[in-house]
Amino acid sequence: MLRSKPDWLKPMFPWEQKALEVNGRTMAYIDEGDPQGRPVLLLSGNPTWGFLYRDFIPILTETGYRTIAPDWVGAGYSDHPREDSALTLAHHIADLVSLLDQLRLRDFVIVGQDWGGPQGIGAALQRVERLAAAVLMNTWLFTDYIGQFHASPWPWTTWHAPLVGQYFQKLVKVLSHRGPSSTSKRGLNEAESRAYHHVFDEPESDAAVLTWPRTIPLKEGDRGWADMAAIQRRLPELAEVPILLLWAPEDIVFPIEYAHRLKELLPHAEGPIEFSNAAHFLQDDRGPDIAKAIVDFLKNKVEVQS
Amino acid sequence: MKFVTPSAEELSYLRADPVLIEQELDCRPETAEAMERAVGFRAGRTYWRSTHDHLYALELADLGRGRPSQARVFGHWDRFEPRPSEHEIRLDLVDFCLWVAEVAPNMDPDMVDRLARTGPNGVGLSRPQGAVLRTPDDRFANLPGFPYEPRYLEIEGLRMAYVEHGAGDPILMLHGEPTWGYLYRRMIPPLAEIGRAVVPDLIGFGRSDKPTRDNEYSYKSHVRWMRAFIKALDLKRITLVCQDWGGPIGLRVLAHMPERFSRAVIMNTGIPDGSGFSKAFMAWRRLSQKASELDVAQLVRGACHRKLTDDEAAAYGAPFPSREYQACALLFPRLVPIRLDHPGAYDNRVAIETLKTLDLPVLPVFAEGDAITRQAEGAVRAIFKNTAPTVSVQNAGHFLQEDAGEEIARHIRAWMEETKA
Repeated sequence: MLRSKPDWLKPMFPWEQKALEVNGRTMAYIDEGDPQGRPVLLLSGNPTWGFLYRDFIPILTETGYRTIAPDWVGAGYSDHPREDSALTLAHHIADLVSLLDQLRLRDFVIVGQDWGGPQGIGAALQRVERLAAAVLMNTWLFTDYIGQFHASPWPWTTWHAPLVGQYFQKLVKVLSHRGPSSTSKRGLNEAESRAYHHVFDEPESDAAVLTWPRTIPLKEGDRGWADMAAIQRRLPELAEVPILLLWAPEDIVFPIEYAHRLKELLPHAEGPIEFSNAAHFLQDDRGPDIAKAIVDFLKNKVEVQS
Repeated sequence: MKFVTPSAEELSYLRADPVLIEQELDCRPETAEAMERAVGFRAGRTYWRSTHDHLYALELADLGRGRPSQARVFGHWDRFEPRPSEHEIRLDLVDFCLWVAEVAPNMDPDMVDRLARTGPNGVGLSRPQGAVLRTPDDRFANLPGFPYEPRYLEIEGLRMAYVEHGAGDPILMLHGEPTWGYLYRRMIPPLAEIGRAVVPDLIGFGRSDKPTRDNEYSYKSHVRWMRAFIKALDLKRITLVCQDWGGPIGLRVLAHMPERFSRAVIMNTGIPDGSGFSKAFMAWRRLSQKASELDVAQLVRGACHRKLTDDEAAAYGAPFPSREYQACALLFPRLVPIRLDHPGAYDNRVAIETLKTLDLPVLPVFAEGDAITRQAEGAVRAIFKNTAPTVSVQNAGHFLQEDAGEEIARHIRAWMEETKA
């Protein structure tokens, strides 16, 4: 379902949309910068797509990195399957592994926020010999800490519920239409807001927006629990990999306690470096500053090693 | 099609892909009812294993019409891993369509078969153009010490090469990463005096065809190809001789068709159950996965204790004119199941249970100088009941056939004499 980008979007997001087939579905991505440069994968979460990283792309490519921003299947310009069961954590991981394989990426860097964390690290663990570094922002990789937002009945577990969730996500479009704009600290203009939600404008195209929250594992036996637990169990394999934590403490979804738990599990990680005036979509609120922090980290901790 | 019930453990290592076929069945009630009779239920789920060893599920639902009114076919792939090649999946789905045509009234399986395979509207069951490479013959001219004429078989549309020498019961010699049949050249003449030496090149190596896409290769596919090779040559009373990946592949095949084997020589290898590996192997695995091309001639030469001539070293590089030919060589270290949930580990644990019951004589041969596989010896001895004392080869490394081929062949001959049925 790869569509060409509308003209109004191009001034904000001018990069060539590429695509490949992963697991029988089309995955869209942009691939900019020096093809010989170190690949940096910019991974978004629910309900966003590569657009979230628009401030990162020029900064990373100018410093010599090959910048790859894929859209998860179900989001952005990738295929939007209707089947809930094609949009689980295991599927997203396998999709990204397929992209890593097909582009033959070596010594790559994972940058992930929200679902970009577990999906990116989950895939990187399948190809851990090729992982050079990881940057994690407002995300989680574990089953043993659940914050207030996800545990409380309003809004999260209500959205989880069968039928109720369907109503809020699909008919009222709480997340897909209001997520990025309502949480923005900077305030999105109308075109930016539209850039986030226009990819869900087609009927029946927003299954992922509902599946993602419903597959956040809250207790053992939940869908995704076993896969998230597998990721947590394998985190010691990242002991030699430089990791940076960047955080927006004002985010109500993944408050700073999540960063502290990540730091316990990955004690060698740098940070968390905190960014004020930023919420859940910190890449949008503080894009250039965060991109520069990533470049500094890569120059100081990764390039010196190799 | 034979329906099976996979274990919960196996399913936990797999990922269901829901969209292979989804179909409302109401338009042809007689087909729906025939399927219900064939599977024995109106609404529910059953599984089958395809000719490519993939697990598929058929799910029927009754949407209140008193018969199956919706059908879905799921593929079950290795958890977190991309699905196998589209080519394999298409062939498996044609098999499913043929099954439907067989059980349903007023349908002709031959017609379905013709539709699938021929004509402009055929679903395209061959591999896409450029998906398979074949090393030019002139790369194999004047190989030192390897005068055998190559023979070829076609396995799943791929050319698989082998050489053979001598007569009698087959001695099947399996090489591993990143070599080919050439590795056995010092063992072929002595062993050909007491049997028929059969030395295949694995797909992706030697003179065999080399698919270029990563997902054409899996542990599973190599096992399948080797099973097909043995069936095509109808080898029986086989003495298996294996090293490196020849072990994981050969021993799995042995567990699948033990009736075709009479002995096994296990050299610097084993059958990994996913529970752990040597530091040396993990280091090699890391190194190999960072490489974008392997200098195979240099790699083999460097690992040998004996000094290889330039021509001998070049023979190891011959199958790979460029990195495009190395898809499998580059992948192989990563395909070794090093964790319990890694693709192939569960299947190996099942295979090991079978191997434990076999009485066939086993000769372990391990090189003192091989840090990568030395620790596999204990595991091999623990699996097989009827194991001869380990032949410990001095002054040899991972490629012990190259370092001490003649000496090892002598040991094998003496042991084969002792274990004559």
